[in-house]
Amino acid sequence: MHPLTLTFLIFGIPALIGLTYVYVRGSSGLRSYTTTRILLTIPMILILATVVFFVMRILPGDPIDSTLGPKGTAEIKERFAEQHGLNDPILVQYGRFVGSVFTLDFGNSLIQSQRPIVDELGERLPATLEMIIPATILALGLGIYLGTQAGIKRKSAADYSSRIFSVMIYAMPIFWLGLLFQLIFGVWLGWTPIAGRIDPTIPLDRITNFLTIDAIITGNWVALRSVLAHLILPTLTLGLVLSGVFLRLTRINVIETNQEDYVAAARARGINQGTITRRYALQNALIPVVTLIGLQVAILVAGAVLTETVFAWPGMGRYLIQRILSRDFTAVQSVIVFFALFVAVISLVVDILYSLLDPRVRY
Amino acid sequence: MTKKILVLLFALALLAAACSDSADTTTTTAGETTTTAAGGTDETTTTAASTTTAAPAVACPSEEGGGTVVIGTTDAIASLDAADAYATRDWEILKNFNEPLLKWVPGSGEEIVPGLAASMPVPSDDGLTWTVTLREGLTYADGTPLTAEVAATQLTRLLTISETGPNQVGLTLGNPYVTSVEATDDLTLVFTLPAPIAFFPQLLASAAYIPPNPEIFPAEELNIFPEAPLTGTGPWIVTNIVPDESMTLEPNPNYYGDQPSLDQVIIRQFGDPQSMALAVQNGEIDIAWRILGSELATELGNVDGLNSVVVPAGPIRYLIINHVLEPTNDPNVRKAIASVIDRDELSDVIFGGAVDPLYSQVPPGFLGANEAFDSLYASPDLDEARAFLEASGYSEENKLVLPVWYPPEHYGATTADGVLLIVQQLEATGMIDVDVQAQEWGTYIGAVVGGEEYPVSVLGWFFDFPDPENYLQPFIENGGIGTMVTSKDGDITPGVNPELLSLLTASRSETDPAARAAILEQLQDVYADEVVTVPLWIEPEFIVYRDGICGDASLPNAESLNIGATMEFVYSVLGTDGS
Repeated sequence: MHPLTLTFLIFGIPALIGLTYVYVRGSSGLRSYTTTRILLTIPMILILATVVFFVMRILPGDPIDSTLGPKGTAEIKERFAEQHGLNDPILVQYGRFVGSVFTLDFGNSLIQSQRPIVDELGERLPATLEMIIPATILALGLGIYLGTQAGIKRKSAADYSSRIFSVMIYAMPIFWLGLLFQLIFGVWLGWTPIAGRIDPTIPLDRITNFLTIDAIITGNWVALRSVLAHLILPTLTLGLVLSGVFLRLTRINVIETNQEDYVAAARARGINQGTITRRYALQNALIPVVTLIGLQVAILVAGAVLTETVFAWPGMGRYLIQRILSRDFTAVQSVIVFFALFVAVISLVVDILYSLLDPRVRY
Repeated sequence: MTKKILVLLFALALLAAACSDSADTTTTTAGETTTTAAGGTDETTTTAASTTTAAPAVACPSEEGGGTVVIGTTDAIASLDAADAYATRDWEILKNFNEPLLKWVPGSGEEIVPGLAASMPVPSDDGLTWTVTLREGLTYADGTPLTAEVAATQLTRLLTISETGPNQVGLTLGNPYVTSVEATDDLTLVFTLPAPIAFFPQLLASAAYIPPNPEIFPAEELNIFPEAPLTGTGPWIVTNIVPDESMTLEPNPNYYGDQPSLDQVIIRQFGDPQSMALAVQNGEIDIAWRILGSELATELGNVDGLNSVVVPAGPIRYLIINHVLEPTNDPNVRKAIASVIDRDELSDVIFGGAVDPLYSQVPPGFLGANEAFDSLYASPDLDEARAFLEASGYSEENKLVLPVWYPPEHYGATTADGVLLIVQQLEATGMIDVDVQAQEWGTYIGAVVGGEEYPVSVLGWFFDFPDPENYLQPFIENGGIGTMVTSKDGDITPGVNPELLSLLTASRSETDPAARAAILEQLQDVYADEVVTVPLWIEPEFIVYRDGICGDASLPNAESLNIGATMEFVYSVLGTDGS
C-alpha cells in the first residue's frame, strides 16, 4: 500500500469516527455547521492553490535556470518548457492543475528526480507528522502543566520562572534553539543524535514511512531505539517553542477561572485544591486552549520547515524550501495543497471538539 | 522545589551556551544556503573569511580492512542517469558505482588512465574518429555482460535521449563533440566526431561517458531516479537509497579491479552546513564533504580528533559582463572595470589571504593558462581606469552609473563582502557610482542567463571536464548565458573581436600541446582585451574527517583523502585504522 494512503488511513479513520459521532449524536446545529465547514474547505483549498499557482508563475526564474545556472541555455529551456507543457496558455495549465487537485494526482516533479509527486510526498509527509505530533503533545503537556502551576501559585517563584521561560522560549528562533540543543546534547554531552531520522547503519524495512510504526511492525527494536533517540531533539525544539504560548494562555485562564464564584463556592464547601483545579478550574480554563491548537497548527507547519532544516529531517518543510528555491512549480503547489488540507482538517476537528467541550457553544 | 531547580538549570544552560566562545563551537554563521550545485558547473559554496589547518593523515588502513564510513553532504541528488546527470554530487555517485572508459588517477588532476578501456584511445589521422578497445570479460555488478555493442548502445543515449531529461547533459557534453558511437566487434568502439578535438580523452573521463547498465537504464528512455540496487561497472553497488536522507554503497564483487577495503560507505544528506559540522564533531558522520565554508572548516580544524584539509581544487568566481546592455556594451567601461579590480585586496580582506587571485578565466595549472588580466590592465590601476572612462565622456561630474548584482545566499556570506569591496574599488575612481543590488538565486540566475537585465553580476564556475576549453567556450560561444558575446545564432556581437571565435575553434582542434598552448594564450589575451568576464578568485573547497579515516598514501593528495584537482571523491581509496 502506498505510504500516502496509509497516512490518510491512520488519520482518516479517527476523523471518520469523529464525524460519525457528530452526525449520529450531535445536535442538528452542529451537523449543519460541520457540513458547511467541510464544503467550505473545498473553495478554501482551491483559492489557496490558485494563488500559489499564479504567484509561482509571476515570480521570475524557472526550474531550468535554478537547476542548471549558467548552463541553462535558451535551447534547453525551450525544450524543457515544451516537454512539461509550460508553453501552454496559462489557463490551460491552470485547468490541468485544478484537475490534479481533485484527483490528487499531481504528476511528476519538474526538477531533480522528476519522480511522481505523490511518491515524494509519501516519503516526506510521514516524516513531518512523526515529528510534529509528539512536538504538539509535548507543547500541550508542558504548556498546560506549567501554565496551571503558574496560575495556581500566582506571583510565586514558579510563576515568575514559568513566565520568563514562556517569553524566552517563544521569542527564541527555532533554528537557533535547535543548534543549541545539538551542541549541548549532541556534541558536548553526547546523549542524543543530532541529525536524521535513524542511524543509517541500522537497516529498517520502510512500510508506512512512520519509522516508529515500521520498527514496531517489523519487531526491529534496535531501529525503534534509534528512531526514538533521533526524535528527541527535533521534538524538544519544536515542542518547547510552541509550549510558551500554551503556557501563557493556560496560566491566565486558570487565574481567571480561580476567581469565579463557583470556584470560591467549591473552596467554601471544603473541596481540596487539587480537585478544584482538576474538576473546576482546569476544565474551563482549557477551552480556549483547544481553540489555540487549531491556530497553532499553521505555526507548527512553519516551525517544521526550520526544524527539519536544522535536524536534516527529510520532511515536507525541507522539501518545500528546496522546491521553492528551484522553482519546482508542481511540487510547491502540491505541498501547499497538502498543508492546506491538513490545517483545514485540524481546524475542523478543533471546532467540533470545542463545541463538545463547551455546551454553551451553539452553531 | 525540584521544578524550580529544573527551570533554573535550563535557563542557566541556555545562557551558558549563548555566552560560550564561538571559536570552540560551530554555531557561528558561515553562510546561508547550500542549494543546488548546478550542472557540475555553477558551484554553490558557503565560505567565510579565514584559513584552515591540515593535520597529517594517520597510518591506515588497518590490515584487516572492513568497516563503514559515513560521509555527510549538503548536496542533493538530482539525477543518477549518466545521460542526464549534470551536477557534482551526481557525478561523484555515478563514478563510484560505474566507471567511464577512461578515468583520472585518484588525487591527480593531470593523469588519465584507462578505465573500462584496455588502453588509451587512438585517434585517426584526421582526428575525426577515435577507437577505444574495451577490457575483456567486463560485466556489470548484476552479471550483465558489457560488450562493445552494449557500450555503444548505452553511450548513444547521451546523443539521443539526453534532451528528454531535466539536465540535458548531452546537449552540452555529447552532441557538440560526438556524432556517433559504433561497435565494430565485441571489444572495439569507434567514436565519430564532427570536428577534431584535442581534449577528447578528458571528455571520455567524464561521467557523461559512462555506459550505464541496460537492465536499469534502457536505451530508449531515461531513468533519472532508479530504485536501488544500482549496479554498474564500478567498484561499488548502491544498495539502498532513502531520498533526502541517505544512500548506502557496498563493494561490487564483479568489479574488474581491486576491491575496496571498506565494507560499506553511507552518504548522509544534511539541510545546512552547521548541522553537518556538528555531526562530524559528535561522530555521527566520519567525513564532512561539500559544502563547508572556510569559517566552519577552520573551526573544525581546531577540534581534537578532526582533520580539516583544503582540497587542491575549487570553483572560480568572476564578474559576468553583459556586452549588449548599457553601459557595459561600451568597451571602455568594461576595461575600466577590469582596471580597478584589486584581487590581492579581495583575497586579503575577505578571505584572510586564503584564496588565490585569478588573472585569467583559465586557472593556473591548465594548458596555456596565463595572467592576461594582470599583464593587460596591471590592475589595480586607477589612472588607467579613469582614462578609459574619460574616453567615453565620463568624469567626476558626469559619473558612470553602474548596476552590479549578486545573489546574497547562493555562494555564502563572503559574496556580499566581496561585492561590497568591489564596489569600493570601483567608486575609488571617483567617476563611478555603483548601484549594488541583491537578488534571490532563483530570480537572479534567470535574469543573468536571460541576459536582459544585469550589466554586471557575480557567478561561480567549476569545470565539467578539466580542459581550458571548458573555462572559455561557455563564455564565448554560448549566446544567451549572460555574456552576450555571441548571439543565439552563433554570430559574434557587433563590436566584439571575432578572433575570439576563430581562436577558440583553432584551440579546440589543435592536438599538439605546445601549439595549442600558444593559441590558448593568444585567446586569453583577446578575452581579457574584450573583458568577456572579469575573473576574481579561486574559491577553496574543504574536506573535514575524523581521526582514523585515511586515503591511499601511494596516490597523490592522501591528506585530502585523494581528492585532487578534478575534485572527484573515489570511495574505494578510503580506509580506516580499525579503531
